[in-house]
Amino acid sequence: MTDPGTAVPAGKWAKPAMTHTVEFYHSRVRALVAERLAASGKTWEEAVQDPALELTREDFERIERELLDTGYRFEMSAQISLVEEPDKYRPLGKIKDTGEGEVDESGRPVIGTGQNVFRADKDITGTARLVSTVETVMDMLVNGVPEDTIAIIDDSGGTLTAPILEHFAGVVCMGGTVRSHLGILTREYGVPCLMDAVLDGLHDGDVVQVEYTKAPADAYAASDEAARARIVKIS
Amino acid sequence: MVAEYSYSDLLDLNSWIRKNSDAFYWQCTARTVQESKLFPVNPYIAMSYLNAWYRYPALLRKLEQHMSPEELGDRAREVSSVANIITNGIMSQFYLGGRQMLIDMGMLRPTDALDDVMYVLDFSKRLNLAYHRNHAHTLPSDANQRAQLLPERVVQVFDADAFAVKPGDRLHTAVVRFLAQISQYAFLSHCECRLGISNSGPYKIGGNAEMLVRDFVDLGEGDFPWLDGVAAPVAHNNYTLPVVLKDTHFNIVDDWASFEATPGYDHDNMIAVGLYTSDYLSDGYIPVAMDNPATLADFLEHEREVLHEATSQLWKVMAEWRREQLLDAGLLVYYSVPKDLFHLAGIYDQDDWMTIEERAQRFKPLMNDEYGRDLIAELVGYISLSSQQGSEYTMSKWSGAPGDMWSTIPYSVLGDYPSTPTVGAPRAGSTSLPPKTSTWTTTAGRLSLAEVNERARATSPLAAQAPYRFLDDRWVKDNPGDPRVQELYRHTQASSRLLAGRGAGLTRADIEALRKADGQSA
Repeated sequence: MTDPGTAVPAGKWAKPAMTHTVEFYHSRVRALVAERLAASGKTWEEAVQDPALELTREDFERIERELLDTGYRFEMSAQISLVEEPDKYRPLGKIKDTGEGEVDESGRPVIGTGQNVFRADKDITGTARLVSTVETVMDMLVNGVPEDTIAIIDDSGGTLTAPILEHFAGVVCMGGTVRSHLGILTREYGVPCLMDAVLDGLHDGDVVQVEYTKAPADAYAASDEAARARIVKIS
Repeated sequence: MVAEYSYSDLLDLNSWIRKNSDAFYWQCTARTVQESKLFPVNPYIAMSYLNAWYRYPALLRKLEQHMSPEELGDRAREVSSVANIITNGIMSQFYLGGRQMLIDMGMLRPTDALDDVMYVLDFSKRLNLAYHRNHAHTLPSDANQRAQLLPERVVQVFDADAFAVKPGDRLHTAVVRFLAQISQYAFLSHCECRLGISNSGPYKIGGNAEMLVRDFVDLGEGDFPWLDGVAAPVAHNNYTLPVVLKDTHFNIVDDWASFEATPGYDHDNMIAVGLYTSDYLSDGYIPVAMDNPATLADFLEHEREVLHEATSQLWKVMAEWRREQLLDAGLLVYYSVPKDLFHLAGIYDQDDWMTIEERAQRFKPLMNDEYGRDLIAELVGYISLSSQQGSEYTMSKWSGAPGDMWSTIPYSVLGDYPSTPTVGAPRAGSTSLPPKTSTWTTTAGRLSLAEVNERARATSPLAAQAPYRFLDDRWVKDNPGDPRVQELYRHTQASSRLLAGRGAGLTRADIEALRKADGQSA
């Protein structure tokens, strides 16, 4: 069987990768390997052990350039990636705001839900502050975390906010699960936390109430919308 | 020329490869793809797999010339170090990850580097069999997510000497605050990964309590160059806290040495705690500030402040790093999971573990955040890469889909079909990070690397020596009065507050009576 996109034998039961960059890169590398192998006149076993036939850094740079030349730009994860190579990455997205959110029993807008890491003694009301850059963390490290900050964090790691995490009144993380590093750390610090939060209509500076008294989520259980803790906008 | 293997050899190794696939899948799918705004986590994970692929075979062969995997497993089990549940178990996963990436790129076939694959897989299996000897499984996942590593003589000392605590008292508060801070620091010093944290157990403590042994490793100045200076005030490189919780069952202590409890872990249920250090130079565990509850609280409060300051200082250093430095540091933490085995053998070399081989370095142009994220997600989560797909009639263990994470070795290699033996000798490595300049923090003091290796080669813990090495709990059961057993227990008890000199005959009821007499009964 042959992959028509690359003319490289991909084997029985082959299929394209799920994601664009993986499929693009791997199919191009396969094609390059096949091309070099054919040109060498060697058997596979001879060729794979021949340092002179190894792909080089320049080969991989050309493949990256080929993808970028199509106009494709990468999604960033680490802030430094966008800072160092802004031409290769897409700008950061914003929290969606469809205006179609529900309201709670008191008529207040529900602007998000998430998985509760542990059951707190009480729900927390505080000011939502986006904490997603090194600069924001540095500012809070130097000048202190404003009182009653509910940190809205868009990655589930535990390092970006490492020096200031214990000073948050609460955390809402737009990713991960209760077993992610941020979930583990907030549990250790006793800082109430929602993971895997889905937000709609939350803005930096909103006063929100987070349902941290909800039962903790089970990482191994099937997703249950009703079991998710809610975030409501107070003002 | 590829070595000769029997059908039996290959059946066994393919079973181990498949066990690796299944175990890793269960772990990975309980989490989402890990991301960080500070570190390019997934690109560094992918790069670490490649570095492991090119370097582990030669390095592990060198290691076995000095110490067998079985002896390493036995030695590692007697102390807490980077040679622990997650690192011992995950070394073969990283290596197979590099192999699978290259197979999927068409740069390798499953019949390639056969001698290397057979060697690394066999080494890792033997290491884990020895390390997990006391529960007689290969991995915690084989034991229904339970990791009861330690023999009675060690757990008994932890149990006896733990100080009773209750919510609101000074030691309880100090422990809770210390655990949070050390966890935070461990994630940062390990560049966002959890390799600085390891848990074992649980161990039954009476009718309604369980002990979890919580380890935090590689915290001081040591192998990681980025800890030079910022970690100088950290008193010990490794900490072990046996914590006893009432009314709590640790239903999961898994292959990544992380735990889950039912009901959930609640510090308010903590009823006893101790603190120890140990490393590749120590003969077992050494109590830290365990004279009385006040000395322990003093130490924990002080060390918590030290770790808090180190966290702030280290974060400021890392926040200034270039992307390549963030990537290199993370990939070196991942890649170097076998490094403390080399410390145990006294042959640790900074160039072996803190540099990236040129054959791995060349892939960096591909390693943008999106590719790293999607590759790792497909490789260890969705099992969606072309090279991972199997017959349409098959259903894998957990997902039910027709594919498995790591390719097995085709049995064709037993016939006349071609294969290749090895990736060859390791080549030069490099790093974008500053070189290490400080000493190593060890239980024998602050030492140069030459001194670390020299002392390690001279270290011979009693429990690893003949005839004590094979006096396991099953033999002790029938021979508690045997002079050698008595000597082994007394050796482990030498620095115990309550058990020094008491020997091998004690039961749990005796421990409880001793604790009660000492005012420590919960």
